[in-house]
Amino acid sequence: MTAPPPSTPTPQPAQEVARKTVKAAIIGVGRMGLTHLSILGGHPFLKVTAAADGKSLITTAISKYRTDIKLYDDYKKMLQEQDLDAVLIATPPHLHAPMIDAALDRNLSIFVEKPFTLDADIARRLAQRAATQKGAFHQVGYVARFGDSYLKVKSLVDQGILGRLISFQMEFQGCTVLKKENGEGWRGDRKTGGGCLHEFGSHGVDMLLNLFGKPSRVVGSSLPSIYSLHVEDMVTSTFLYDNNLVGTIYVNWSDPSYRKPMMRVNILGENGRIQADLYGIKIYMNKDNPHYKKGWNTLTLPELTEPVPFYVRGNEFTRQLYAFAEGVRNPSAINRSSFADGADTQEVLDMIFADAGMEK
Amino acid sequence: MIQLDPLILGDNQFFGINHMSQEKGQQLAERFSDLNNIYRAYHTAQDLGIRAFMLNSNEKAAEICDYLRAHKSQFPGMVLYPSIPYPHKYANQVAEKGIAATIQNVLSGQSAMGLLGMAGQGLGLLTGDLTKLMTLLVDVEMKMFKGLDFKTIYLQNVITDLLLGLEFKEIFIEYARHLERNYKVTPGFLTLNIPKLSAFLQECGIQNATICGSVNKSGYTMSPDAASYETYFKGPQPYPIMAMSIFASGAIPPREAVAYVQNLGIKSIVFGASSRIHMLETMDLIQMSNRA
Repeated sequence: MTAPPPSTPTPQPAQEVARKTVKAAIIGVGRMGLTHLSILGGHPFLKVTAAADGKSLITTAISKYRTDIKLYDDYKKMLQEQDLDAVLIATPPHLHAPMIDAALDRNLSIFVEKPFTLDADIARRLAQRAATQKGAFHQVGYVARFGDSYLKVKSLVDQGILGRLISFQMEFQGCTVLKKENGEGWRGDRKTGGGCLHEFGSHGVDMLLNLFGKPSRVVGSSLPSIYSLHVEDMVTSTFLYDNNLVGTIYVNWSDPSYRKPMMRVNILGENGRIQADLYGIKIYMNKDNPHYKKGWNTLTLPELTEPVPFYVRGNEFTRQLYAFAEGVRNPSAINRSSFADGADTQEVLDMIFADAGMEK
Repeated sequence: MIQLDPLILGDNQFFGINHMSQEKGQQLAERFSDLNNIYRAYHTAQDLGIRAFMLNSNEKAAEICDYLRAHKSQFPGMVLYPSIPYPHKYANQVAEKGIAATIQNVLSGQSAMGLLGMAGQGLGLLTGDLTKLMTLLVDVEMKMFKGLDFKTIYLQNVITDLLLGLEFKEIFIEYARHLERNYKVTPGFLTLNIPKLSAFLQECGIQNATICGSVNKSGYTMSPDAASYETYFKGPQPYPIMAMSIFASGAIPPREAVAYVQNLGIKSIVFGASSRIHMLETMDLIQMSNRA
């Protein structure tokens, strides 16, 4: 660090805000809670000072090795006792709503894992309630919005390089569930947030909403099971928009040919096509334009990637939490995945369940 | 201090891992789904004078190790750099079943006697001791490499970087101690955060270690950024470094890629190549070709 030059003026209030250290707690230290705790290790101004969860291998390890983090088994008690600026909620999704309400009662900034809730009405109510709170920042963990390749697709679509949009296809595959299930645990039950649509497909649905907005109708939805006893392992659906845009989504988390989850989106517009996946973007232009030549243009991942301050499991995971930390410190910062966005996505998830004739 | 080989043949290309393109990855996966094609590549590398190989403990590695043991006489001087564990094996199970069930599942694949023998000190899982559990999982992963020569064992970056962020010092210390004591090797760490990890290992008081991480001109998978790495390599380096991803998946021309790494003073490179011509190209570039 270099010392500021002697002529530096007295800090203005805005700069005071920029220097503030913020304190956060994590509710639920399972797979995602642990990842978030790791990513925030060494964060320049956000410190995790408390966590709430039942006794587990992980909480035992935290109590042993991280004496700077105060552990609670009751999140309500934690919110009562701790002086916090923010809370990160990473519990199974059916537990989110009361925790969000409790955090809103204290005017805390909130990061909640996706899916936001399991019910669009509750999601909308929480989003409306959060919107009335000033001085706090509210984010849903739709992490795919922060991916290197995706951020570029979003900016290309927003710039309108494709002209009028005609159609899209989204595919999202992985090998998460490959064996017959006994249906136990929260992941095996739709009521607790299990199933391919809530857990896996919600990322794809959310990304489509972020790119194209909410469809006016969804049709032809099906939610077949392959291995799971009580939940779907696949999602197929067609989205129809008022402006005649039409697109399909195909999600399958039981495909062993995928080493890791792979999302692909293919967008056709009157000026050309964009094909994107984790590895990069291909752009086909019907005519030369100031940025891209006629025909195919390739943007590889190394070209698209901006390194993050600390890498744990993908740039997007770090980027999303650093964006949240920025929001906690400065609530007027850009919010790429707000509660209102989370509620919109929840509505479309509900539309797909209803269209497929399924109970949520 | 460990003397790393100057050129190590990596294994990503054999398992359909390509950071540049899904199609390219899939082509390679198809070609090398027949393990004979992997063995052929090993023989080619051996003929060319490459003696060092990095191998991740994935589903196919056990069979590959069987082959290498059975044909040991054909690979004189061969030394492995195992990396453990195969992260996706765990990641998928953890996503599906949660952390505790995954650990139980991995351990239940081992016989009770075998487990007790390996643990020697009681089961970490039962005592809720993550440190003991970690050493136990190392032993499970390392079983497949038994009887082969290896110089170090690298902890996969997914695990290293997770634990690094969690600042669980004791686990790093115990992992290092376990490798030195029970495997007689210098503990290795794969990471995408070389400067941060190096500083942390120092804080842990770990003197003997080696780090493998991405080093390339375009700053690809180098956190926080290339400039921090360049500063790091200008200073005193407590740990021998092996550079990976030097070509940034093909984004950097080979000559420039090698020059960048060598200018930083790095003397060990792990690279991916599946054909004789590509192996030779890289060898030529780092001036160790056996050709007359």
